[in-house]
Parts: sequence; structure tokens; C-alpha cells
Amino acid sequence: MEATTESTAVQRELTIDASPDTVWEFLVDPEKAIRWMGLDASLDARPGGTYRVEVIPGNIASGEFVEVDPPRRLVHTWGWEPGGMSKSVLPGSSTIEIELVPAGDGTTLRFTHRGLPSEEAVQSHAHGWDHYFERLAIAAAGGDPGADPWLTGDMT
Amino acid sequence: MEAALKAIAAPHRRQILTLVRDGELSAGEIATHFDVTRPAVSQHLNVLKEAGLVNERRNGTRRLYRARPEGLVPIKSFLEGFWDERLEGLKREAEREERKKRGSND
Repeated sequence: MEATTESTAVQRELTIDASPDTVWEFLVDPEKAIRWMGLDASLDARPGGTYRVEVIPGNIASGEFVEVDPPRRLVHTWGWEPGGMSKSVLPGSSTIEIELVPAGDGTTLRFTHRGLPSEEAVQSHAHGWDHYFERLAIAAAGGDPGADPWLTGDMT
Repeated sequence: MEAALKAIAAPHRRQILTLVRDGELSAGEIATHFDVTRPAVSQHLNVLKEAGLVNERRNGTRRLYRARPEGLVPIKSFLEGFWDERLEGLKREAEREERKKRGSND
């Protein structure tokens, strides 16, 4: 795979047998949000409000809500707070967009995560284990960090 | 996997892993690279050892440590499917909630 751009995007689409209103609650209500992501969440869903989720122990994803249009469209920035494993996907450096479209009695959810650094961009400022942790962090955000020289034994 | 995640969450432990990636070092040698006490280094090494991220080898009276990168494999597989698994979880929870709201008995 060739990484020719400085950033990459991740896109997913899924159909949910629940109304957009119900799905929306799971995006903005902290109690409901942690039923599908993270251990603890602090969400202030209004433009400029805080998005902060402890995703895995010691690794906190945080950002700011940009667009809040219930129950249709939610945009917030996203990145790992310093102290966890990533040093390049910083808070505010990438953006998550979620669109909910009614589909019969259910909802089509379109998920886009853009602004993730490309493998190339990461390689330029990460080495050794740091490089490895960056790969994990990109994979964590749904990106493709490419073949892993550590695990295939190609790293010299 | 939980143990490995906690182990790499601490910056000092990641630095220790970097130090012992290419060769064996004793706790004393590792301690010279940090502004932390020798007991603190030993403590970090214990956490890393229990998480399967370093190997310990006895050489006479010395204990030598070396990184064990394969200890990270379970974390890697967990993180690679990160958004897919999260979004599947969102679907499952939202559908459960919807059934509750609709008062369905199925």
C-alpha cells in the first residue's frame, strides 16, 4: 500500500434497527456512550463543548464538539491526550463526523474519521517503540498502519 | 491484555522497553538512564514482566532484562478492529434500547 498523502480518512456505514433519536442518545449521553465506548465519558454536546472519553486504561481521547444537529449530524475533533501511547494524534488533530439518516424504522449511520496521519507522516517523527505505539494509535482510530515490521521480523 | 495496556500507559515503562529492545540490561544499568530510584525501576520491571513485555534472565547474581515485543500482539489485534468493534457495540446497545422503548417482548 502506498501512502502518498499526509493524512488519511476512515469511513464506515452501518444500519441500525433503532430510530435516529435513540442512536443520537448513545452519541451524546455519557451514561449511554460508555455502553459502547470507553470506561468513562464527559460529553458536553454543543458547539465548543468538551468531548473526553477514557477509551482504554490510561489512554484518553479528547476533542471539542464542532457541529451538533440532533438527531442528524454530529461533528467533533478527536485525538489522544498526552500521557497515553500516542504522541502524534493529538487532541484537535483529527475530526469525527457522524451522520444519521432515517431508513424505514431504523437508521443508517455514516461514520467518517479524517485527519489521521499517514504512515509516512508518522515515520518521520517516531522511532523504535514510539514508532510502534504510534502504529497502535493509528490502528486504534481505524486507520491502516500498514504491514508491521516488528511482528513479521523484518525490522533491522 | 489489560495488564499490557496498563504497563505501556506509563511513559517510564515505555522508555525502559525502548532501552531493552535491542539488548539485555540489568536493573542498575537501566536506572542510570532515569531520574528515578533503583527500587522504582525494579517496580516498573516487575509490572512489565507480569504483563509479558520483558523477559528476565539470571546470569550469576545478576538479573538481565530484555523486551518481548510479541507481548504487544493481543493489544494490536484489539486496536486494529477498534472502530468496527465500537460501532458494532453502538448498534447492539441502540437496538436493545429501542426494543425496550417499543415495549417489545421478543
